[in-house]
Amino acid sequence: MTPNPYLFIVIFVAVALAFPLLPLGLAWLWRRFFQPPKPGVQKNAIYECGVESIGEAQIQFRSQYYLYAIIFLIFDVEAIFLVPFAVAFTGLPVGAFIAILVFLLLLIEGLVWAWGKGCLNWAR
Amino acid sequence: MESLEQIKNRAELAARGAKIDIVVNPGPAQQSSLLIDNEHAAAVAQFLRNHPALTFDYCSNATGVDWLDRVIKKTTKVKTVVDGVEKEVDQTIEEKIPGYLEAVYHLYSMKHKHGPLIIRMRTANRTDGARLPSLTPIWRSAELQEREIFDLYGIHFEGHPDLRRILMWDEFVDHPMRKDYREPDDYEWEPTPHDDVLEKAKQHYTPRPQLDGAENVTAQPQ
Amino acid sequence: MSEGQIDEALRSELQRQGVWVTSMQELYNWGRKNSIWPLQFGLACCAIEMIATAASRYDIARFGGEIFRPSPRQADLMIVAGTVTKKMAPQIVRLYNQMPDPKYVISMGACAISGGPFKQGYNVLKGIDRYIPVDVYIPGCPPRPEALLHAFMELQRKIDSQKLTGAGKAEHLDAKQPSEFPVPAFGEHDLQPPANPDVYHPPVLERQS
Ligand code: SF4
Repeated sequence: MTPNPYLFIVIFVAVALAFPLLPLGLAWLWRRFFQPPKPGVQKNAIYECGVESIGEAQIQFRSQYYLYAIIFLIFDVEAIFLVPFAVAFTGLPVGAFIAILVFLLLLIEGLVWAWGKGCLNWAR
Repeated sequence: MESLEQIKNRAELAARGAKIDIVVNPGPAQQSSLLIDNEHAAAVAQFLRNHPALTFDYCSNATGVDWLDRVIKKTTKVKTVVDGVEKEVDQTIEEKIPGYLEAVYHLYSMKHKHGPLIIRMRTANRTDGARLPSLTPIWRSAELQEREIFDLYGIHFEGHPDLRRILMWDEFVDHPMRKDYREPDDYEWEPTPHDDVLEKAKQHYTPRPQLDGAENVTAQPQ
Repeated sequence: MSEGQIDEALRSELQRQGVWVTSMQELYNWGRKNSIWPLQFGLACCAIEMIATAASRYDIARFGGEIFRPSPRQADLMIVAGTVTKKMAPQIVRLYNQMPDPKYVISMGACAISGGPFKQGYNVLKGIDRYIPVDVYIPGCPPRPEALLHAFMELQRKIDSQKLTGAGKAEHLDAKQPSEFPVPAFGEHDLQPPANPDVYHPPVLERQS
């Protein structure tokens, strides 16, 4: 008799859950019976480099970073599409090559447009 | 490089009213220096940097010196009449020189590959209001070093863009490189003390009156 | 034979039969002493020797201490390697406070022990043991990597002998022992306080006549 094929998935899920939960449970037991917790102001501090933090962590960032992030997307998308293209490059017809060139041109045009608009200048 | 006298004369001509003295160094190094008056220091420095024959474009080092009040004994021969006979008698004059702080700059020329030219400035006194003009606007490399002089000697450089302590913390009030600086007494554990340290460490020794006799106890533990 | 200890003769007899006997304490300490993670920071020239100890020739990995952590939250051991200036001391104490228990300190080099060559300087702390408890001191300027390894083994020995229960149990298991120490403040003439009297106990010097 063959076991139910879903049995393996059940075992897999059980092991995957036990893997993190077992040590956590052991640690909890250890803390419960042996090691008393010793929290403190500095031990629980958020910043951990020995220097006292000043002010709030929730500060406003400049909108310039947002522009840069958007322009970065151009290169990001470009890389994602270029890698499969490069892998299959030798087997591709000329049409595909031209298509990808058009695609690149569109992205570059976006970059040039942003450049011309002055998005790459860091406004003070 | 031109001699110090030549530089001095040229600089006095270029910066009107400037008064420059030559401080002679009698030691083996023989590196004599120019003492510049504070009022015209900026003009003289500008001249030293910009004059085509000098072009001291690089300030490699700026440091401070602390001079305490001191007394100089000068012996002169004086002619006096003793018992109707004219005699030469040694007479000692004590001259009191009040203390001051000094800033010393070492200048080089990258262009002409000559140097160093040493210039000095003196404060009027050693109290905390000791002020000097900053040369940072002329030599940018003096910026951090002037901050260090401010930190360790307490000279306030007027016109310095960012005069804060650099080595010690901001709350610190003393100037550790001054000769009358008294460090905090943390000599409670000195395993091998000698000389000055022994004297300081003795303040922390436990007295043994039963062994040494109470009258020999010199220091009290804290 | 004290409680929790295993009769050595019985144990070796059992071992010959293929049975391995251990106690909770031994297992716990064995695990801890072979995975000491040091905090990754160096203060002066001694740190170069610490780096050499971690590199391939001396190879602290043989003792389970190669994982230098850049965060105090993941470190067990603080190697104070180098000159502790007074300006840096509060940061060191704060880092120590942020390490989770159990935590240990190795004071490496003359500077970290007593101020070393800079002892009479205006800006150097005369020993990190003024503010935090130190487990192992290594003299030297700088101590050679072998010396650091020796200190490491000394620390392992110490960890191995720590007890889980009873009166002399390890500090981190004792709820009454502190895990944080006050951070000195920048004063007008010196750090305030100049030393933590709960931690710092210099030997009393007899007056010499
Ligand atoms: S003990 Fe010596 S080697 Fe180590 S930090 Fe101090 S001066 Fe440098």
